[in-house]
Amino acid sequence: MRGAFKTLLYLAAAAALAYPLTPFRDVYVLHVLVLIMVYMVLAMGLNILPGFCGLLDLGFVGFYGIGAYTAGLLTIHYNMSFWLIVPLAAVNGAFFGVMLGVPTLRLVGDYFAIVTFGFSELVVLFLTNEIWLTRGPLGVPGIAPVSIDATWLATLLGVDSRWRYAFRGEVPYFYLGLLMVILVYCGMRRLEDSRLGRAWLAIREDPMAAASCGVDLLAYKVIAFAVSAGIGAMAGAFFARWTLFISPDMFKFWESFLVLCMVVLGGLGNINGALVGAVILIALGELLRVALPRLGLPTETRFLAYGLIMVLIMRFRPGGIFTQVAETTMQSGLIKELRARLAARRTA
Amino acid sequence: MFEQQLVNGFTLGLIYALIAVGYTMVYGVIELINFAHGEIYMLGAFLTLSCISMGLPLPLAVLLAMLATAAIGVLLDVVAYRPLREAPRLAALITAIGMSIFLQNLAMIIWGSRPLPFPRQALPAFFAEPALRFSEVTVTWMQIVIYVTALALMVGLNLVITKTRTGTAMRALAQNRTAAALMGINVNRVISFTFALGSGMGAVAGVMVSMYYNTMYPTMGYLAGVKAFAAAVLGGIGSVPGAMLGGVALGIAETLGAGYISSPYRDGVAYAVMILVIIFRPSGFLGRSMVEKA
Amino acid sequence: MDAILKVEGVSKRFGGLLALGDVSFAVERGAIMGLIGPNGAGKTTMFNCVAGIYKPTEGRILFAADDAQRDVAGRKPERMTALGVARTFQNIRLFASLTVLDNVRIGRHCRTAANFFGAVLRTRSQRAEERRIVDDAMECLDFVGLGEAALSQASSLSYGDQRRLEIARALATQPRLLLLDEPAAGMNPRETEALVDLIHAILARGVTVVLIEHDMKLVMRICKHLVVLDHGVKIADGTPQEVRANPDVIEAYLGKGAAHA
Repeated sequence: MRGAFKTLLYLAAAAALAYPLTPFRDVYVLHVLVLIMVYMVLAMGLNILPGFCGLLDLGFVGFYGIGAYTAGLLTIHYNMSFWLIVPLAAVNGAFFGVMLGVPTLRLVGDYFAIVTFGFSELVVLFLTNEIWLTRGPLGVPGIAPVSIDATWLATLLGVDSRWRYAFRGEVPYFYLGLLMVILVYCGMRRLEDSRLGRAWLAIREDPMAAASCGVDLLAYKVIAFAVSAGIGAMAGAFFARWTLFISPDMFKFWESFLVLCMVVLGGLGNINGALVGAVILIALGELLRVALPRLGLPTETRFLAYGLIMVLIMRFRPGGIFTQVAETTMQSGLIKELRARLAARRTA
Repeated sequence: MFEQQLVNGFTLGLIYALIAVGYTMVYGVIELINFAHGEIYMLGAFLTLSCISMGLPLPLAVLLAMLATAAIGVLLDVVAYRPLREAPRLAALITAIGMSIFLQNLAMIIWGSRPLPFPRQALPAFFAEPALRFSEVTVTWMQIVIYVTALALMVGLNLVITKTRTGTAMRALAQNRTAAALMGINVNRVISFTFALGSGMGAVAGVMVSMYYNTMYPTMGYLAGVKAFAAAVLGGIGSVPGAMLGGVALGIAETLGAGYISSPYRDGVAYAVMILVIIFRPSGFLGRSMVEKA
Repeated sequence: MDAILKVEGVSKRFGGLLALGDVSFAVERGAIMGLIGPNGAGKTTMFNCVAGIYKPTEGRILFAADDAQRDVAGRKPERMTALGVARTFQNIRLFASLTVLDNVRIGRHCRTAANFFGAVLRTRSQRAEERRIVDDAMECLDFVGLGEAALSQASSLSYGDQRRLEIARALATQPRLLLLDEPAAGMNPRETEALVDLIHAILARGVTVVLIEHDMKLVMRICKHLVVLDHGVKIADGTPQEVRANPDVIEAYLGKGAAHA
C-alpha cells in the first residue's frame, strides 16, 4: 500500500515536471503553478519564525517587498544579472532583518509581532512615497526578464560566442521556480536537522530551558529572523524578474496574512506542510477569484475564507494538516543508524 | 495654525484613546493582543449606520450599536479565544489575526467594500457650526460633542474599574489569574465583562470617527486598530490611564507630524512611535516592563 | 577547602521584596551540598542567581571551574552553561514535543560549533560533529538509563523519567557544577532510590552537585553539607547533624507547621 502510494507520488511528480513541455500546457495554469512556487518559498521562509521559533511575524511581506524592489531597481538602473541579484536581494533582506531583529527580539513575542507589522507598513509607505527612488504608487514597469548570458564563459574559454538566452513565457520560469523551491527546501531540511535548527526548536519549546542549554536566545532568534527575511527577499527578487512589474500595493499586509495562513494550514514547523499550504491556498484563491464575482461579491472577500481557516485550524487542529511530530527529522542517516543500534541492543 | 492642529490632534487622540482602552484592558486580563478589536470599532460605525437607516434617532442607534458590539466582543472571546487559554500564546495570536480578517470581510459582504458616508440627516444641523473661536482656532460643536462623550466615557470607565466589584476583580485578574480564581473570582465572567466594556467603547469611537470624517469602510478598523494599539503601547500596555494618555499623545503627534514633517507619512508616525517606544521604553508611560520574563 | 563555588553576600530584590538577603556560603569541589528551607525561602532564587537567570542586586558569586576563580554574578545563563554550570528545574522544563534524543542533543549545544553555513552545506566537520553529538547524547541517556527511549517523544515519558531526562540534558552540557532543583519531587520511593544512585554516579564523574530538596530523609542521607535558608536569609550552615540541632532551623520548620523536619 505504502509502496503503491509512493509510486503514484513519483508518477505525479514526473507528470508535473513534464507538463510544461507537453502540448496540453496552458499559460494560465503555468502562471498559477509558478505563483504557487513563489508562495512555497515564502511559506518555507516564514515557517522558520512561527514554526521553528514560535515567534509571530506579521511583516514578512516587508522583506518580500524589499527583495522585489532591490531586484527591480538594480535591474532597471544597472541591468544587473539575475544570478547576481538573487544573493544581493537575499543579503539586503537579511540585513533589514538583523537591523529590526536586534532591538526587538528581546521583547515578548506579542510585541515582536506588532513591530514586524509596523515595519512592513512602513516599507509600503516608503515605497509609495519615496518617488525619487521607487517611482511611487505607479510602480516599476519594464523590468527585464531573467536571462542566461554565457558570454563570460566564452571569454573564459577563449571561444567567440555571444550565446544569450532571455526567458520568455512561463515555461522557463516554471523550471527556474522549481529549482528555487528545491534548493530552499533542501536548505530548510538541512537546517531543521542541525545544531542551529535544534536551537530554534528549543527556543520555541521553552526559552528558559534553551538558555540553560547554552543557547543564546537573542542571537539565535536574530539568525532565524535574518534567514527568514533573506528567503523572503529572494522570493521577491524572483517575483520581480518574473512579473516584470512591481508596485507598492503588491506588498501589503494581506500577503503576510496569506503566507501565514499557508504555514498554519500546512502545520506550524512542518516544511512539507508549508508546501501543501501554498498549493491549497493559491488554488483556493484562484477558484474563489472566479466564483465570488458570480455570487456578486468582491474578490477581496476570499480572505473571509482564509481568516476562518486560521481560526478553525488553531481551534481544532493546531498542528495543521500535517501535525508536526517529533519524528520529522527522524529520517536522517544518523537516526536510522541509531534506530538499528537500539533494535540490536534490544534483541541482544 | 499650530493651535488648530493641536485641537484637531486632541480630538483624534481622544478617539484613539477610546479604542486603546479596549486593547489595554483585554491585554491586562488575558495577555492577548486582540487584533480583532479594530474590527469591533468598525462594526460600531456600520451598526450605527444600519440602525439609523432603520429610522432610529442617533443616540438610540449608538446605544444599540454599543450593545451589539459588546455582545460581539463577548462572543469573540467565548468562541475564539476561550478554548485557547491554555494553548501556546502563538495559537491565540494567530486566532486573533484570523478573526480580525474574518470580521473585516464579513463587513465587506454585508455593507459592500466601498466607503459609505455618515448619514448627515441623523446629525443635528448645528454640529458643523463653530462652537468656540479664538483668533485663528475653531472648535466645532461636533468636536465638543466628541470631547464630552469621550471624557465622560473615560471617567465612567475609571469609576467602573476602581469602584465596582467587577472592576476590582478585573484588576485582580490582571495581577494574577490563578490567585484571582482561587479567591473565588469567576474568571470567565470577568473576562467577558472586560471584552464587553472594551468593545462598547470601541463602538463609540467608530461612530465618532465616521461622523468626524464623514466616511466609513470595512477596512477602517485595520489602521485605527494599529494606531490605537500604538497608543496603548505608548501609554504602557495594561494600564487604562496610560491608554488614555497614549491616545491623546499619539493623536497630537500624528497631526503635528503630518502638518510639519511630512503628510504622506501621517500613518507612518504611529508606526514609528510604536516601534521606537517598544524598542526603547517597552513599559510605556505607565506600564509594566515587557522584556521577556525569564 | 577547595571551593568550586563561593557565594558572597548575595542579595536579590524584586521591587520592594527582598528575596535574598546577604547570603554567603561555599560549595566544596566534588561534594554534594543541600540547599534547604521552607517554601518561599529563596532557594530557587539562589539557583537562578547562580545559573545566570537573575542578576543579584548585590554580592559576588565566585565560580572556579578549574583553578582560576572569577566573579560570575550577572552573567547570562548561556554563558554560565558554557562555564560549566548546569541545572534542572523545579517544575520540569523539557522540550516537550521533541524526542528524548533531541532534548539531550540540544544540551550539547554549548560544546559544539556548527553554524548556519555548516548546516546548509553539510560540511565534513559538521557531519562529524553531528555524529559526535548523537554519540555523546546517547552516552548521557544511557548513563541515566533512558537510552532505550531515545526516539520517543519527551512528553510521553513518565514523570520520574522526565526528571531523569532533565538530568541527562544537564549532563550533556558537561558541567562542573550541577544544580538540581527538587529532583525527587513527585517520585515514588523506588524512583527516589534510583535517583540517589544516579546522584552518586554523577559525583563519581567529577561533577559537584548542589541540591534543593524537600525530602529531608533524602537530604540528610546524601549530603555532607547543608545550607538552610528562611525568608531569604541564611539561618544555618553545616553538617546534617549540626543543622538538625540548630534551634533556628527547628523554629523555621516547626513554626511553619511543617512536619518534615
